[in-house]
Amino acid sequence: MKRFRVAVDIGGTFVDSILFDSETGTTRLAKASTTPDEPVRGVLAALDRLGVSLNDTELFVHGTTLGLNAVIERRGVETGIITNAGFRDVFEIGRADVPAASMYDYRYQREASIVKRRHRFGVGGRIDAHGNEVEPLDEAAVLDAAGKLVEAGIRSVAICFLHSYRNPVHEARAAEVIREAYPQLAVSASSAITREYREYERTATAVVDAYINPIFNDYVGRLENGLVENGFCGKLLIMRSAGGAMTAQTARQAPIYTVLSGPAGGLIGAGQLAKAIGRDRVLTLDYGGTSLDAAVIEDGEPLVMHEAPLADLPALIPIFDIRCIGAGGGSIAWVQEGLLQVGPQSAGSQPGPIAYGRGGNEPTTTDAALILGFLDPSTFLGGTVDLDVPAARQGMQDRVAGPLGIDIDRAAAGIFDVLVARTAGAIREITVERGRDPRDFSMLAFGGAGPLIAPLIAREVMNAELIVPQNPAVFSAWGMLMSDIVTDVALTQLRLLEPEAQGPVEEAFATLIEDARAQLEGQSGTQTERRFLRLVECRYAGQEHALEIELPEGEDLASLRARFDDLHRERYGHAIAAPVQIVTLRVRASAVMPKPTLPIVPEATGPASDAQIGAREAFCFARRERTPFAVYDRKLLGAGHTFDGPAIVEEGTTTTVIHSDQTVAVDPHGHLIVRRKSA
Amino acid sequence: MSTETKLDGATVEVIRSYLVSAAEEMRRTLIRTAFNPVIYEVLDFGISIYDADLELISDAPGLAFFLGANDYAIRKGVEFAGAETMRPGDIFIMNYPYWNSAHALDATLFAPVFADGEDRPFAYTCIRAHWMDLGAKDPGYVLDSTDMHQEGLIFPGTRIYKDGAPVKDIIDIIKFNSRMPGPVMGDLDAQVAATRTGVERLNAILGKFGRPAFDEAVGRIKVASEALVRRALADLPRGTWEAGDVVDDDGISDDPVPIHVKVTIDEEGLTCDFSGSSPAVPGPINIPIGLTETICKFVLKSLTSASQRNNAGSFRALKVIAPEGNLFHAVYPAATFTQWPAHLALELVYKALAQGMPERIAACSGGDTLGFMMIGTDPVTKSMYAVSNNEPVGWGGSAEFDGINATNHISGSLVRNTPIEVIEMKTGMMMEQFEIKPDSGGAGKRRGGMGTERLIRFTQDGEFLSITKRSKEKPWSLGGGAQPETNELIVRAGTDAEKRVGTYRMPVAIGDRAIARGAGGAGYGLATERDPAAVLDDVLDGYVSVEAARELYKVAIVGSAVDVAATEALRGG
Repeated sequence: MKRFRVAVDIGGTFVDSILFDSETGTTRLAKASTTPDEPVRGVLAALDRLGVSLNDTELFVHGTTLGLNAVIERRGVETGIITNAGFRDVFEIGRADVPAASMYDYRYQREASIVKRRHRFGVGGRIDAHGNEVEPLDEAAVLDAAGKLVEAGIRSVAICFLHSYRNPVHEARAAEVIREAYPQLAVSASSAITREYREYERTATAVVDAYINPIFNDYVGRLENGLVENGFCGKLLIMRSAGGAMTAQTARQAPIYTVLSGPAGGLIGAGQLAKAIGRDRVLTLDYGGTSLDAAVIEDGEPLVMHEAPLADLPALIPIFDIRCIGAGGGSIAWVQEGLLQVGPQSAGSQPGPIAYGRGGNEPTTTDAALILGFLDPSTFLGGTVDLDVPAARQGMQDRVAGPLGIDIDRAAAGIFDVLVARTAGAIREITVERGRDPRDFSMLAFGGAGPLIAPLIAREVMNAELIVPQNPAVFSAWGMLMSDIVTDVALTQLRLLEPEAQGPVEEAFATLIEDARAQLEGQSGTQTERRFLRLVECRYAGQEHALEIELPEGEDLASLRARFDDLHRERYGHAIAAPVQIVTLRVRASAVMPKPTLPIVPEATGPASDAQIGAREAFCFARRERTPFAVYDRKLLGAGHTFDGPAIVEEGTTTTVIHSDQTVAVDPHGHLIVRRKSA
Repeated sequence: MSTETKLDGATVEVIRSYLVSAAEEMRRTLIRTAFNPVIYEVLDFGISIYDADLELISDAPGLAFFLGANDYAIRKGVEFAGAETMRPGDIFIMNYPYWNSAHALDATLFAPVFADGEDRPFAYTCIRAHWMDLGAKDPGYVLDSTDMHQEGLIFPGTRIYKDGAPVKDIIDIIKFNSRMPGPVMGDLDAQVAATRTGVERLNAILGKFGRPAFDEAVGRIKVASEALVRRALADLPRGTWEAGDVVDDDGISDDPVPIHVKVTIDEEGLTCDFSGSSPAVPGPINIPIGLTETICKFVLKSLTSASQRNNAGSFRALKVIAPEGNLFHAVYPAATFTQWPAHLALELVYKALAQGMPERIAACSGGDTLGFMMIGTDPVTKSMYAVSNNEPVGWGGSAEFDGINATNHISGSLVRNTPIEVIEMKTGMMMEQFEIKPDSGGAGKRRGGMGTERLIRFTQDGEFLSITKRSKEKPWSLGGGAQPETNELIVRAGTDAEKRVGTYRMPVAIGDRAIARGAGGAGYGLATERDPAAVLDDVLDGYVSVEAARELYKVAIVGSAVDVAATEALRGG
């Protein structure tokens, strides 16, 4: 075993890298600027700044939203579709719906399809709903279609046939004959990625995979070369969108699994942290420049969805349930008919907030934070950006305070009031949706600006506590270090949950576990510990809501029924006497990797005031006025320290702002635990 | 906060955000706890919050067509029940179609919200949702009722919860009058839970800001929305325009039913007058006035404030006229179950507006939703199934854009279609084709979106039904664009008994075939003015045939290129 493990997360602005030294048990951080034109350069720069030899590195875990960005920005390769004759428009028609934001727009325009109709071919062959072949596959037609695609300059093709979730034989055969005849063509067969029903969603899944495949492969190839050139001979892992990692080799076969690999790191970290410090219900709040994201973690496990929207396309892949509940620090404040509005327009990072001095002239939430004294202009983003406070104040006066007839502080505070009211509402919705009370959750804040705004939100939803982890700005990269090698396999199997189903269900699970074991084998070798989680997705017959329940080995289906009723009651407020139908069987298999434990910080030796490095005026939301805040250096805080707000904790790239009705305790791991002062 | 506080624009927005969240939380609660998929999949519900004066202050519409549908209902419901009789913990039910603005299967629940110690409500929460069965003459859908009493059990605004507890007598009446009491009771509970969520949130908002601030804020919110809408209306041309159209039939006779609207934009705002429409008809296509208002609210919103949250101020500039007894102002005992003419009426208002502002309006879409359903018995489980789907239509071309292809009618555009794999899994229908139908969109400088063609083969015996009220009159175009063919359903396809139908119910047997065609949208502007490059693209993608390119668009395509000389000759001639 070599000495180091490294994780690298590419964000919009920075590449974050983190190193774990297994000899000392310590971690080290480094940052470099993101290099969108040539992403590998930024990654290598960040690695270089860690200052250790890649020769001594066992494992390199990587997260990137390259694939997702390619879909959002429509930068994938031209893609073709081969499907059943008579159904070439399944991908275009989709579910025939319109996004809610456009429901009143009679001139609504869809985004241009990423597969032109001329590149969609129907071929003979049909499987029915029971998986029986009704008509054999017309292989000549498959070859003919592939030939036409190649002739048209297409580099990647998606194959999706009706009912292939039930019987994938036609898809497998079509993929085989295409690969033989046209090895230059990347092929994504829907059933090789997902075995779930619904033809449009499965087609879109294969299309997205095909669309990003060549780009992703190109990137990973360059990254591998770059690493090898720098002496790396360990294992390269890429984060999956639903937690866990996979080898680069596996990721290259179906890159769609990696689309959310950056944010996934944060949730894995959050899950591990929640387990380590014993919190059953955690709500994460990740606030960066572009968005404010929230997720629910129960019993240490982030919620996984099996369908997620990627830009305007659905994908049937396991993916963490991360909700965007607001815009990021670039949201623009403006006044409409005498009322203050925040967003939805954003200044992004270009031109960015007024204070950045890059041409932005509309006040943003970042400008408001600066005006209220939450950010220190001299140390912002480690001192890499000069902030122009007078310009921010002038913009706030002209665009918000003046039109509303209030002073600048009140205007800036109003922006946060509106933001917090909306966020609190969105958080209530996420928890209420699951039949939970938001007050039962601990909040965990990370991302560059998470600890700045989270205490305000915590005051509003009256959370029991707010946890600020170590190095919140690079929390996602840290989470990647905590990851195992994971693979998910699933099979749609509609049948009633009754005693007779036990046999077929066990058989199907045996096959799934065998598949999963084989997939892990190739990725991790045989020496590591394996875990297989057997999950059954079921629902009341005739209903659509399905719930996922674990079926441990040796447990019979009768007890599953009882637990299904319980969970349904908890989630939907009722249980009914109807028969229960099994929809999908899933196996989540992991090869357990050694991982760092949470660090222990030294006990506090003196009073918390020893860690105070100064004081500054800022706006306290409890007092509704400007007031002196004690400023603490997080490095100087020890386990057991407690102090009251108003207080600001600085740690280079992140600021935690605690108001006068809140108090902070430092736990043995150095986490800041923020609570409401008891009255 | 003290009474003399003049709230600043930030605080008013904060209170508005809380009111929006309250409605959203009611929506989550309803979706989370509802029993029937029509609520949580089809979003067949509408959620609203009202102030003490019964003016809308926040909403969370599900179906676009439920926009403001509760507004008329709650006024009538509170008037009937009497605000002075209400106490905390009361909840009322209403589905009297002429007040409730919907067919009898849509049940509206409303609850007064009281501040501590006050004896009059300071707000109301209100939810309508589609129920599975309330004892109408037929299960599922009623296509041929001739009066209200064939359409189910009716409540005019009846206390169903008192002091927070269910009123057993009323609950029993519902239970014993429904064919599906289990799901109906489940949905009732879900609606009660969501209504109470709203009551709790409103109390929390009141607790946080106090009554004076609450009242001031809701007043300011309405004023701001009204100003916004009036400002947008002022940018539109003023004038009066009329338009007419035809509904297929009333479900009883085959006679077409004429509809007409006169639309005025002036300093008062937008006025829609349906007086020129047919009188009420015997069949179940009559429209309650509240739904007529909703149709017009949709139009006003789409023209002025599509991205804004709604409140009473959003609709103050609107006036709707339809005399009692008109098709658009149904009165007792007119049958109102199958309100498809509302789809046509929505586009009728646009048709009138298009005369004054063609560049802002789109030509007619396929014009209506073609719905079909198969009812049968599962051969394995022996249980009954009823699975339906709405066919998409092409949307109309406009000055700037082609109409989009194959998308649900705008009156229900959030609803998703039923996947082929689900239809084939659950029913005795096997699809032999479901594809865009080439040349189905009306030609034009901006062409209509393409419609679809679906070939169905029945693999089990059962019953099949279809609904559309636009299978006779072609969708209207603008500026010389072409009119597409209409929605149509062909039953017993390929046999001597083949028949073209619109709204229809029939038995089917193994081996029977049917064809469903969702209409394309109408074109905008002359087809001969369409950019030949756009025509070429359409031909290469197979949306438009080479023949149609030559004949309708006067563009000659040879191989995969435009023959420029031949095109000039065609267009010059």
